[in-house]
Amino acid sequence: MVRLKDRYLLVSIVYTDLLASQQAKKGNNPPVSDLLLYNQPTTGELKPQILLKAIRNQVASLFGDCGSGAVDRSLQVKYLSPATSTFILRISRSHYRLVWAALSFMDRLPTRDGRPCIFRVVRVSGTIRKVEEEAVRRAKLLILAAKDEAAGNKNAGTALDALFRGGSGGSSKDPARNLTMLSDQDDDDDDDEGSAPGDGEASYDD
Amino acid sequence: MDGRKSASSGKASGATKRKEPPSGTGNARGGQGNNGQAKDGRPPNRAPKRVKFHDARNIRTQPSDAALEDGRLDLQRFLNAREFEIKALESSMRKCKAVNATRVFQQVPRAMRRRTASHNVKRIPKRLRERARKEQIDDKTPTIEARRRRPRTTRARIRAETAKKLGILAARKKKKMLDNTAEGAAGTSVQPTVETRAPRPKIRRNTLNQAPKIKSKFRKRQINKTWLPTHVWHAKRATMTEPSHPLWRFAIPLTPTQKCYRPIHRASGQKGAVAWDMSYMSTIGLYGSDEGAERVLRAIGLTQESIWGGRGRNWRAGARKWTGFLSKQRKEGRRDIGPATIIWNPEEEMDLTHPKKSQRQIFIRTHPSCFLELFQELLKLVKMQTPQLHVEDLRFEIGSIEITGPGSTETLLGIIQPYYDKPEAKENQARIFKSLDGVTNPASLPKDALLAFSAMDPRLGHPSKSNKSSTGSVSSTLLDTLTNWPIGENPKPYGLFSRDSRYAASKLPSLKSINRRKGTGLPGNGLRVTAVDPPIPVILFASRPATDGQAQGTWTLLAPWKCILPVWYSLMHYPLSSGGNPHLGGLEEQRQIAFEQGAPWFPVDFPGTEAGASWELEQREKRLRDWGRRPKGKRVEWRSLDLGAGRKGEIGDGLACDFEYLFRLPKDDAQKETGNCDASVPDPDAMQIDGIEYHEPREVSHSSLLMVQHMEKASFNALFSSANLGKAPAYSVITVQLTFVTRGIANVCARIYRLPTRAPTVIPPSTDTEVPATPLPSPGLPSDLRDHWLANLPLKSIHPNVGSSRGRQGRRQQQQATRQFLPGTNLAERKSLLARSLVTTSLPYPAPSATQKDIGGHPFCPSEEDLIGFVTSGSFSLSEGKGTAIGSISAERAFGALKGAGAKEGKLCVVRNAGESVGWLARWEAI
Repeated sequence: MVRLKDRYLLVSIVYTDLLASQQAKKGNNPPVSDLLLYNQPTTGELKPQILLKAIRNQVASLFGDCGSGAVDRSLQVKYLSPATSTFILRISRSHYRLVWAALSFMDRLPTRDGRPCIFRVVRVSGTIRKVEEEAVRRAKLLILAAKDEAAGNKNAGTALDALFRGGSGGSSKDPARNLTMLSDQDDDDDDDEGSAPGDGEASYDD
Repeated sequence: MDGRKSASSGKASGATKRKEPPSGTGNARGGQGNNGQAKDGRPPNRAPKRVKFHDARNIRTQPSDAALEDGRLDLQRFLNAREFEIKALESSMRKCKAVNATRVFQQVPRAMRRRTASHNVKRIPKRLRERARKEQIDDKTPTIEARRRRPRTTRARIRAETAKKLGILAARKKKKMLDNTAEGAAGTSVQPTVETRAPRPKIRRNTLNQAPKIKSKFRKRQINKTWLPTHVWHAKRATMTEPSHPLWRFAIPLTPTQKCYRPIHRASGQKGAVAWDMSYMSTIGLYGSDEGAERVLRAIGLTQESIWGGRGRNWRAGARKWTGFLSKQRKEGRRDIGPATIIWNPEEEMDLTHPKKSQRQIFIRTHPSCFLELFQELLKLVKMQTPQLHVEDLRFEIGSIEITGPGSTETLLGIIQPYYDKPEAKENQARIFKSLDGVTNPASLPKDALLAFSAMDPRLGHPSKSNKSSTGSVSSTLLDTLTNWPIGENPKPYGLFSRDSRYAASKLPSLKSINRRKGTGLPGNGLRVTAVDPPIPVILFASRPATDGQAQGTWTLLAPWKCILPVWYSLMHYPLSSGGNPHLGGLEEQRQIAFEQGAPWFPVDFPGTEAGASWELEQREKRLRDWGRRPKGKRVEWRSLDLGAGRKGEIGDGLACDFEYLFRLPKDDAQKETGNCDASVPDPDAMQIDGIEYHEPREVSHSSLLMVQHMEKASFNALFSSANLGKAPAYSVITVQLTFVTRGIANVCARIYRLPTRAPTVIPPSTDTEVPATPLPSPGLPSDLRDHWLANLPLKSIHPNVGSSRGRQGRRQQQQATRQFLPGTNLAERKSLLARSLVTTSLPYPAPSATQKDIGGHPFCPSEEDLIGFVTSGSFSLSEGKGTAIGSISAERAFGALKGAGAKEGKLCVVRNAGESVGWLARWEAI
C-alpha cells in the first residue's frame, strides 16, 4: 500500500540580538536573564502563511525550482506558538533536509523589520507525537532552567547551555536531568539511508 | 477508558472551550495557529467526523502578549506561557489518540477477527457490542440479517412459507407432547415389569462398522463422509476438507483459519502445545488365542524376533505399545501397508480352579488411508487360523487426541483427572500419570510407555486451573519414575477394551445438568464424582519422534468416541503455565511438524505404499487442475523448459513425482486398468455406510504406480552392508531426507539426480571447452560435470582426495590470474598487460546462449540416466534454518551411486525443482 511518509520538524526561534533588546529593556526595569532574552516571544505578525512563504522563498533561492517544487506541496505548519517561539513543520520524508537547510540560512524573522534570530531545528521525527513529546520535554527543561537562574542568578554561559544542551551544562549537579538529555534518541528507524537526522543538538553543533 | 470518554466529550466540550479564553491570559484564542477553520465552531453542513478530527488535531496556542508583561519580558509570564504550551501539547496528544481510536472490530483479539460478516455485532464480544452498534449507526452500515430479509425470488418465498408452516407444525407437536406427559404424570404411571439393558451400538464381527447414528439435522451433510466428534468446533476455526471431496471418508481440518505457521513451530518445540483431534485414525480390534494372535501379527509384518522374545514381554503383557510399519505378503514379496500402533490388553488374573484358554484382545491403530487394506488383510489372515480369531472395526468406537509440545504433559495433567470413589481405589497407572508433573517432553518417558486408567469427566473440573508447579525443575522422584516406570507386573485389563465400559462412558450427563450441579456449589470449585458420572476409560501413550534426537514427542489419548468432545473443549481452554492455550492444529500442521523434525509423514512421503500411491495420484489430478486453471502465459510450459546443453523439456511429467518414468513403467489410464489390479483394490461395495452406496473416488487403479514398493531403511542398510552388495528388489524406493549443502529450496515433485559418473578416459585439465574424445550420455554435457558439482561443496566438506586440484579454489585462482596483476608490476607493465589482454581476448560472436556452457553460473543438471527419485515434501525448514526436503529415491540407483563413490560422496545428489533449470547440491540420508 502506498503511504505518504512525512517528517515533522520541531523548530524553536532563538533571538540573537541580545544587546539591543537588553538595552531597549534597560530603562527603568530590573535586568532580565539571558535565558528569557534568547527565548523571547515572537511577534504576532508572524502568521503561518508568512512563515511558509519565507521558507519557500529560502528553499527556492537555495535549491532553485527543483527544490521549491519538491517542498512546495507537502510543507505545512502544524503548530505555531508565538508565546513560546516554537513551531512544528510537516514535510515529506524525502525532502525534509531542504527545509532544514533553508531554516539554517534564515537569519531574521520574515516579518517587516524582522529581528535577527536563528531557527533551530531541535527534533526531527516521523510522528507528530514524538515531536510533541520533545516539545513538552524542552518546555519543562526551560522552566527548570529559568527557575534555577532566578534562584542562583547565573551568567550568560549557562543560559546558552540551557538552550543548546537542554540545561545539562547549567545543572550538572542533577544527574537525572542529564540523563534525560542523553536519552535524546532519534525515534524513526525506517529512515532511508544517509538521512538519519540524529538529534538536533548534535547536528547544530556541527 | 478515559481516552474514549474524552473522545466522545471532545466534540461538545472542546468546541465550547475554545470560545472562552484559556486560563491565565485574557485574550488568547484557540485554533488561531493553523487555518482557523474551526474557529467558529462546527460548520453546519460538514460531516461531524471531520470536525472531530480537526478538533483533535488542533493544538491550542497563545499569542505573544501572553508571555509579556506590558510589553516587557517577565519571568512569571515566561513560565506561564511554557506551562500553557505543555498542557496544550499534552491534551493534543491525548485527543489525537482518542480520535484515532479504531473501530471495535479492530480491537478484538486477532483470533476473533472476522472479515466475513464483520458487520454483525453479534460476532464480537459482548462488552464491545454496544459500541459497535453505535459505530454502525454512525456510519450507516447496513445491518440486515440475510435470514430476516424479505424473500425476493419465488423459490425463496416458497422456502420461507414452508419453513413457517413447518415451524407451526413443530410447535403444535411439541405442545401435544407436553400435554401428554402432563397427563401421564397426573395419572398412574405403569411400572415396567422387565428391566432391559439400553441398546448398545452394534459392532459386528469381521465386517466394517457403521458410522455413528447422527441427528437427522446433520445427516444429509454426512452422506459420504463422517464428521469428527469435534467437527462443529473445528468447522468454525479451521479450513476443512471440501464437502464434496472428503479425505479418507472424513471431514478433516486441514489448517486453522488463523495464520499459524510460526506459532506452531514455536509451540511444538519451545513453548506451548499443539493438539489435534485424531479421531479419524482407525482402530481395529483383534480377538483370539495368544498363539493365533501371534501368528497373525507375524504375518502382518511384526517379524522381529526380539518383540516375541523376552524383550517384548512387557508389550505382550499390555504395559508397552509397539509402533512400526505393517506389511503384507504378496506373490512378488512383502509389501508395506502403513504405520500402526499395536496395544495388547492385559490378561485377567488366571483362575487356577478353572484353567481356561486365554483369550487375548489387541488394538491395532492405523491411518485411515490404509485402514481398508489392513482390515481386509487381517480378515484373510484371521480366517486362516484355527481356532479362528475375529476382528472388529472400532473406527467410530474409539476416538483419539494427539498433543505435542513442551506444555503437552502439563495440559494433560490439568484436564485428565483419575476417576476413583475412594482414595484407596486409585489405580496405580493413574498414580504414575499424576506423578509426571514437570515433564516437558513426552519423549523423555520410557520408550513406548503406555498408561491406561479411568478418568473423570473433564467437564466436572472445568475450567481447569493452570498448574504452576510444572514449570519448576525436575524433581528426583520424577526422575525415579521415568527410569523405573513402576507399572507393576500384571496390570489389570484396560477399560477401553471392554465394550460395556466404553458404552457406559458414552452416556455422560448432559452439560445442562452439570451446570446445574455447579450452580449449587461455590464458584470456582470443581464437582465431585457421583453415581451419574461414569468413568471414562482412557489409554495414554507417548511416542518419540521418528528421528532420534531432542525433538518433542507426542502424547496420544485414546478414549471412547463420544468422550472426545468434552475432553477437547477442556483441552482447548487449558491455561498453560507458559501463557496462552494449546494451539489447534490441522493436517498441514502435522505435516509441518513432521517435516521440521525431518521425519517422513504417512501417506505423503511413502509413495511405495498403496495409500501413498493413491495420495500421489490424487495430488497429480489436483496439480493438473490448478495448472490448467492458470492462463497460458503464466503457467510452466513443460516442453519448452531449457535444461542446458541442448536438452529441452521437463523430464517426465512436471506435475507428478513421476516414478513410472523413473522405472520405465507403462503409464496407464484409469479406465483401462481397473480390471487387472491386484486383489487388494478396494471393493466399492464393501464401504457402504448407512446403506448409501458410495463410490470411492480415489480408487487405486494405476497399477504401474502400485508396482513401486517401499523399502525400509533397515533392509536398505542391511543390503548395503552385506559383503556382496545384494541387489535391491525391483521398483523399490527408499525414503530419504535431503539437506541442501549450500543453498536451495525444493518443492514437491522436484527431481533428484545422483552426481554423474566421470568419463572413463583421462582428459587433460585444460580441455574444458574441447569436445571430449569419448561419447558421453548426453553430447552437450561436459565430461567433468561431476567435478563441477563437487566444486560447489564448501571447502571444509570437500573430500581430501577428490577433485581437490580442480575444486573451487583452483578454478578461482585460474580466473584471477588473467584478471589481476601481480603485486610487483609497475604502471608501464600494467598498461601493456592490459592492452594485450584487450587485444587477445576475443569474445565469440554471436554470443553463446546463456545455457550453452552452464546455467547462469550453475553447473548443468545431470542427464536423465542419473535421475534417482523425486521430492515428496519440501520447503524452508524453520528448525534447520535452510531448505530441507523429504523424497523417495530408487534403491537400485542409490546403490549404484554408493557403489561408485563410497558412502560419503555417494550420498551427494542434485535437486532440481520441476520446471526450473537450475539444480542445487544436496545430501541424502535414508530415514
